[in-house]
Amino acid sequence: MSVIPTTGTAAFEPLAETAESISDSRPSQLLTKEDCLEIFNQLYLARYFDIRLIKEKKRGRLRGTLYSSHNQEAILVGALFGLKSTDWISPIHRDMPAFFLKDSKFQWDDPTRSGMSIEEVCAQVWGKVGSPGRARDNWSHIGSKSKRIIHSTSMLAGTIPVAAGVVYADRMNGGDAVVLTFNGEGSTAQGIFHEAVNFAAVHKLPVVTIVENNQWAYGTPVHLGCPTPDVADRAHGYGIPGLVADGQDVFDVYDKVMAAVEHARSGKGPSIVECKTFRAYGHGDHDDDRAMKYRPSDQIEAGRTRDPIAICRQSLIERGFLSGAEAEQYIAERKSASEATNDDFPPAVVDYLNRGIEFALNSPLPDAEEGAMWVFKENA
Amino acid sequence: MAAVAAEPTLVKKNYLTALREALIEEMRRNDQMICQGEDIGMLGGAFGVTEGLLEEFGSTRVIDAPIAEAAIIGTAVGMALNGKTVMAEMQFIDFISCGFDQIVNMMATYHYRTAGEVNLPVVVRGPAGGYGGGALYHSQMNEAWFCHSPGLRVVVPSTPYDAKGLLKAALRDGNPCIFFEIKELYRKNEIAEVLPDEDYIVPLGQAVVRKEGTDITFVSYGQSVYHCMSAAAELEKLGVSAEVIDIRTLVPLDEETIYKSLAKTNRVVVVNEAPMTCGFAGEIVARIANNAFNLLDAPPARVTRLDTPVPWVKPLELHVLPSVEKIVRVALQTAKY
Repeated sequence: MSVIPTTGTAAFEPLAETAESISDSRPSQLLTKEDCLEIFNQLYLARYFDIRLIKEKKRGRLRGTLYSSHNQEAILVGALFGLKSTDWISPIHRDMPAFFLKDSKFQWDDPTRSGMSIEEVCAQVWGKVGSPGRARDNWSHIGSKSKRIIHSTSMLAGTIPVAAGVVYADRMNGGDAVVLTFNGEGSTAQGIFHEAVNFAAVHKLPVVTIVENNQWAYGTPVHLGCPTPDVADRAHGYGIPGLVADGQDVFDVYDKVMAAVEHARSGKGPSIVECKTFRAYGHGDHDDDRAMKYRPSDQIEAGRTRDPIAICRQSLIERGFLSGAEAEQYIAERKSASEATNDDFPPAVVDYLNRGIEFALNSPLPDAEEGAMWVFKENA
Repeated sequence: MAAVAAEPTLVKKNYLTALREALIEEMRRNDQMICQGEDIGMLGGAFGVTEGLLEEFGSTRVIDAPIAEAAIIGTAVGMALNGKTVMAEMQFIDFISCGFDQIVNMMATYHYRTAGEVNLPVVVRGPAGGYGGGALYHSQMNEAWFCHSPGLRVVVPSTPYDAKGLLKAALRDGNPCIFFEIKELYRKNEIAEVLPDEDYIVPLGQAVVRKEGTDITFVSYGQSVYHCMSAAAELEKLGVSAEVIDIRTLVPLDEETIYKSLAKTNRVVVVNEAPMTCGFAGEIVARIANNAFNLLDAPPARVTRLDTPVPWVKPLELHVLPSVEKIVRVALQTAKY
């Protein structure tokens, strides 16, 4: 940004104009076979993380509530895959795999990548000192300034203004970073959602708001929280694009998010990308039994028929990237935690998790005195 | 700007000018600093504290924000997370409630949650206080909400010198701060004073004795300091010598200055214009009771607003807010105990 705009204008002018319409592009068609197989493996990884934690809790090795991302993995993998290392994200409670999937393309174990290691994430899940936040807040409330991951609170949608501020500062510095904020459809009813998206739209900030519409905000169905047919319709009020993606199809998510990301990066402003999906279990594992009652059983069955791993597998077969025995090697789809075994997942995925869990189990609890530390930055 | 500066400038400056100078000087000193708030740019702020900022620093660093306090705070957090220092203006401090979640849950806890990885140099400042006929939503002193949220500095200056020095200190402190400006003092000529030409700060967490005395201690801050000074003058006529302490910052609180005074006077009246229940006056009284009970010859007293909103028309407003007369009355009771 070379020129300080004059009085009465938004702070940032568009960096460039792009010719094509935002929703038409299909960048997933340009992904290589290696890219597509990596995406497939990342889906397994996200699924296995979820299944393994459920198993660990059943074994009594894990405390705390689990917010399962089962059936929603394509949103995380598809949204994150095309980001640059300099981009930021703000995941929420159901997005735990996002912390280690960020910037992980072909480099799951690179300690310098702009994402968390599996060891850090597992240490957080287990509440150990190896957590990036030294286990001071629970579950997904971690982040890392250096890894460009914004720390959430339990007040959902509350990270969107923070995300807008982060990229405002980045644009001031001449950067081209984009931020992806993840939200459920429920939190789009929050006042801060409006305030933050409005601010981002006024200043044409590169904020892509991903709405994981899993149909249920805890025990409340989407039609009691949102009056429009699509949550993405909320975008009309801000004069910004509102895209709808098939949240079960990792490549459709990738296409829509990348269109929004390029739109944002080119200086044209924010977008909302609604990814339609279905919450597989309860709000948290404490809610699994009740969720079987407040949600109609036929809806649950229908919502879980389109497993993202199966849909990705089918795409890869159709594109000739998987064939024969290779295509049928690991069948993880449509299996719950009690049904799935390690044999349903690629060994690299199982090994990766084993390392993370091993680290977490061996990491100590923080010293009790840490509970009273870091209230203020001490300047003395 | 003027090149001629051989003679020191002896112009007295009011509280508002002191604040504006602090912002301008900090913006010049720190090119990573941003100011944002409602009407702070083109208008120069509802009261004029930010006049001239937009013209000098441009609209990227001086943002006329939408009427959206939660977004003003939340985006300030994001900017600070990414390396900026931010002044966020609340047009009236009463409106800060619209940004409450972003302050107490997002901003105040960030350093704690990240085990010290992130610190947020954000100062949320705005005009506060009653006695001006501002009614329910332009008269509040809601500082207690923020003292009750660990992680926030809370500052209430009462003089032009302190307003400038404390605002600069708050902007350099590195912790989020809620900065209460007393709008009835903004243009009060009686308190205008000559400010140093050179850069200075008033460190957070240092109380000051505004008037020395031997019989009773007033502990106060903000506008109430002047009421205590007037009460002290009345008491002097009645043969009671009152010491007046201006605590200046509530968090962190300089307790030592209070106890030092109590060692001399053994009697204390705490005065502020917030409602009594769970107010900061009660906190000061509690700490004195816990830590300096042996110094007391009388029960610690407080004079606060009644537990009511601040009403509009004058007789009602003055009825619920502390008055000099009431402070004198309570002080005499305490002195005679």
